Amino acid sequence: MSTATTETVDAQAEAAVEEGEKREQTRLAALWSQHYDLVILPAIIVLLLVFLFLYVGTRQLDTIEQRVLAPANVGGLLWQQILLAGASTVLVLLIAVPLGIALSRRGARRVQGPVLAVGGFAQALPPFGVLLLMAFWLDFGFTTAVVGLTIAALLPVLRNTVVGLQQVDQSLIEAARGMGMTSRQTLFRVEIPLAVPVIVAGLRVALVLNVGTATLASYIGAGGLGELVQQALRLNRINVLLVAGGIIAALALLIDWLAGVVERIVVARSG
Amino acid sequence: MNFLDYLASNSQQILFLTQAHFLVVLIAVGIGSAISVALGLAVSTGEPDPRRFSLDWFATGIREGGLVFTAALLTVPSLALFALFLPITGLGVTTAIIVLTIYTLYTVLRNTVAGLTTVDRAILESARGLGYGRLRRLLTIQLPLAWPVILNGIRVTTLISISIAVVGAVVQGPGLGILLLNGISRIGAANSFYQVLAGTLLCLVVAAVFEIFFAIVQRLTIPRGIRV
Amino acid sequence: MSETTDQPVVETPDGAGKPDMIVLEGVEKIYPGSTQPAVSQLDLSIPQGEIVMLIGPSGCGKTTTLKMINRLIEPTSGRILLDGKDVTHVNGDQLRREIGYVIQQGGLFPHFSIADNIGVVPKMLGWDKQRIRQRADELLHLVGLEPSTFRDRYPRQLSGGQQQRVGVARALAADPPVMLMDEPFGAIDPITRDRLQDEFLEIQRTVGKTIAFVTHDLQEAVKLGDKIAVFATGRLEQYDDPDTVLTRPANDFVSDFVGGGAAVRRLSLLELAHLELHPIETDEAGAGGAAGRNGTAVAEVDGSGKPVSWRHLPGGDATGVPLVTVPISGTVYDAVDVMLDSSASLVAVVDEEGRAQGVLHWNDLVGGLRTRERDA
Repeated sequence: MSTATTETVDAQAEAAVEEGEKREQTRLAALWSQHYDLVILPAIIVLLLVFLFLYVGTRQLDTIEQRVLAPANVGGLLWQQILLAGASTVLVLLIAVPLGIALSRRGARRVQGPVLAVGGFAQALPPFGVLLLMAFWLDFGFTTAVVGLTIAALLPVLRNTVVGLQQVDQSLIEAARGMGMTSRQTLFRVEIPLAVPVIVAGLRVALVLNVGTATLASYIGAGGLGELVQQALRLNRINVLLVAGGIIAALALLIDWLAGVVERIVVARSG
Repeated sequence: MNFLDYLASNSQQILFLTQAHFLVVLIAVGIGSAISVALGLAVSTGEPDPRRFSLDWFATGIREGGLVFTAALLTVPSLALFALFLPITGLGVTTAIIVLTIYTLYTVLRNTVAGLTTVDRAILESARGLGYGRLRRLLTIQLPLAWPVILNGIRVTTLISISIAVVGAVVQGPGLGILLLNGISRIGAANSFYQVLAGTLLCLVVAAVFEIFFAIVQRLTIPRGIRV
Repeated sequence: MSETTDQPVVETPDGAGKPDMIVLEGVEKIYPGSTQPAVSQLDLSIPQGEIVMLIGPSGCGKTTTLKMINRLIEPTSGRILLDGKDVTHVNGDQLRREIGYVIQQGGLFPHFSIADNIGVVPKMLGWDKQRIRQRADELLHLVGLEPSTFRDRYPRQLSGGQQQRVGVARALAADPPVMLMDEPFGAIDPITRDRLQDEFLEIQRTVGKTIAFVTHDLQEAVKLGDKIAVFATGRLEQYDDPDTVLTRPANDFVSDFVGGGAAVRRLSLLELAHLELHPIETDEAGAGGAAGRNGTAVAEVDGSGKPVSWRHLPGGDATGVPLVTVPISGTVYDAVDVMLDSSASLVAVVDEEGRAQGVLHWNDLVGGLRTRERDA
């Protein structure tokens, strides 16, 4: 191979690399312009936490406060909180999504309206009350809390799924049937893939609801970050209260953000 | 003693707490909706011209930012917000109302913006062609046409607020949450279960009252020509 | 506004003494971010009381031009004169209240009753309630809607055609001298559209407004326009009366746009009343013996003088030939339509009372057209 050719090849390669870089840049720019809002929330979360730690850092903490805010204590409660929200969310999805699909079948269309109406009205049913009632029924503790959380989030997620499946373009379903797909094939190859964004949105709703309600699980002895708030109120310690509130808010925002990112990816994939 | 006996013998307290619950929600939703609708009206301008700097840019920025921000607030668990506001506004009704108001913002703002911006372009164009100025267009065309959507946002936010207001009892806010906290702290004692049950179910009664209220408001305020 | 009132009234050379109501002088529109003008250096004068049809392919600038007249779109440069007054810089909202504006589907306000919709501009101009109500009723009458039935209804309770009538009434409400119409009949089914067009011409005969009318339908332009302005990508290609546009297109663009069907379209410009018709004689039903009148068609009429069947046709057998009629107020196009529709080779032209005035033959029609073209 002569040097001349090598040079040309090099130049071409360089050009190709440059071209690739440029393409990469425009791709990134496009990504940025589409999803810049996803950066706003983490920024808010970070700001919130920084303020919190700066504030607490300037305070002289007494021994009680130090004990409550010890990393081990907070970390344990945080983990409980995540477990509570995670377990109940999985349960909600396992129950609500298949049920929602079943309700959207031709045979069950008549039940749909009532379910939607009740689901809408049930937004006024306080999850806190549901959670406490479970304690009377099943005793205090983690399992009871998970059951209560699941029940409280069930109707909203079911409602979301049914509405989402309703919105799947009817002409697409007709087209699928027209091409000779069975109703089963239509469900699995057209309706469900098209409804995936809806299901993911349902996941997000369930997560947000459950993270919120899980903070109240401490009232039935199931732990979680609500415990921090309860202790702060009992001990009348404002510093603990602020840290507790800040951490809970940050966690909820973070989880919602993560769910939002997953949602974007899924929606982008399913076109 | 069964549940009905419990309700009957404690009717005065229960009625008082139900009324308090109703009022707290009404006040918070009232304030929140006023803020959101006003903000929505102020920032629902057309798409800003990307090549020319104008006030529309601020409006669009506030609108989009406001929606993202209030949506984020809605995901913050109520216990956390109550905890964060307690040191500032203290125990009691003020904190309860402030926090509830914050939760009402997103839904109403979103519906206001959506309602105002989805008004048929042909109608707006003909209004402009007949010599309607911007403000007149906003108040006499866009607002009445968006009103059903806005009202529905207020209705939904009311339902959500009813269940959030329960948690307000944690900061000694008034309402049915007091029954819940009382009951759970006395678990095992007489009527503690009925107390919690009453607190939970009466939320639905409050919701039903609001639903009737909104049905009437709808009837009275949605212009006849666009009533479904 | 006061410094603009002393603008001279611009007279058009071909306007036959009628002053120009709308004048565009060197008007140009360049949308921000675009280098190509949407409308470039446009000069256009619309004489008082005439209907000018703005037509052209989509994106040609016809709608932009229309909307610059009431400044819904602000011109980049140039001047707009209305009744001799420079309105390029007056308050746009005030200006628009003095100009009627009709768009596709009427653009009625769904939450206003029909009467309130019509009263929109009078109300802004501060008329009292009584007067607004009277005016609404008057206009409903004018557009053929019974006031007592329609004034309290809402737009969605009306058909598309009725909504469009209300749209026209609303534009006429404050009696503006100028009306702008943006494809008002575009979204309406062909049969209703045809009727609306007829009614529109009828109304124009009584109100005599100066009208700029955007359309993409050449048929409509020919039927309604006193003049047609043909646009191509921001430029005015030809501005003439319909007959000239159809028969002597100014350039290749216009002749392409007018297309091959020009001769047929011209039929709708030829009014039967202006044609030399064949004579017709009539016999009362049951009256005997009409043979021997070889050169003239004889029709049998009923008691009220309306022709019902042919008794004798020159050079042919009258039996089996259906007698069809066309009103003398119609055009040759209508006559051809009737003949094709009933497979008849001739048609009786009747007056308003239905009495026969003459006969138009399929064959004569072709000859007649040729003569007229030579005349032109």
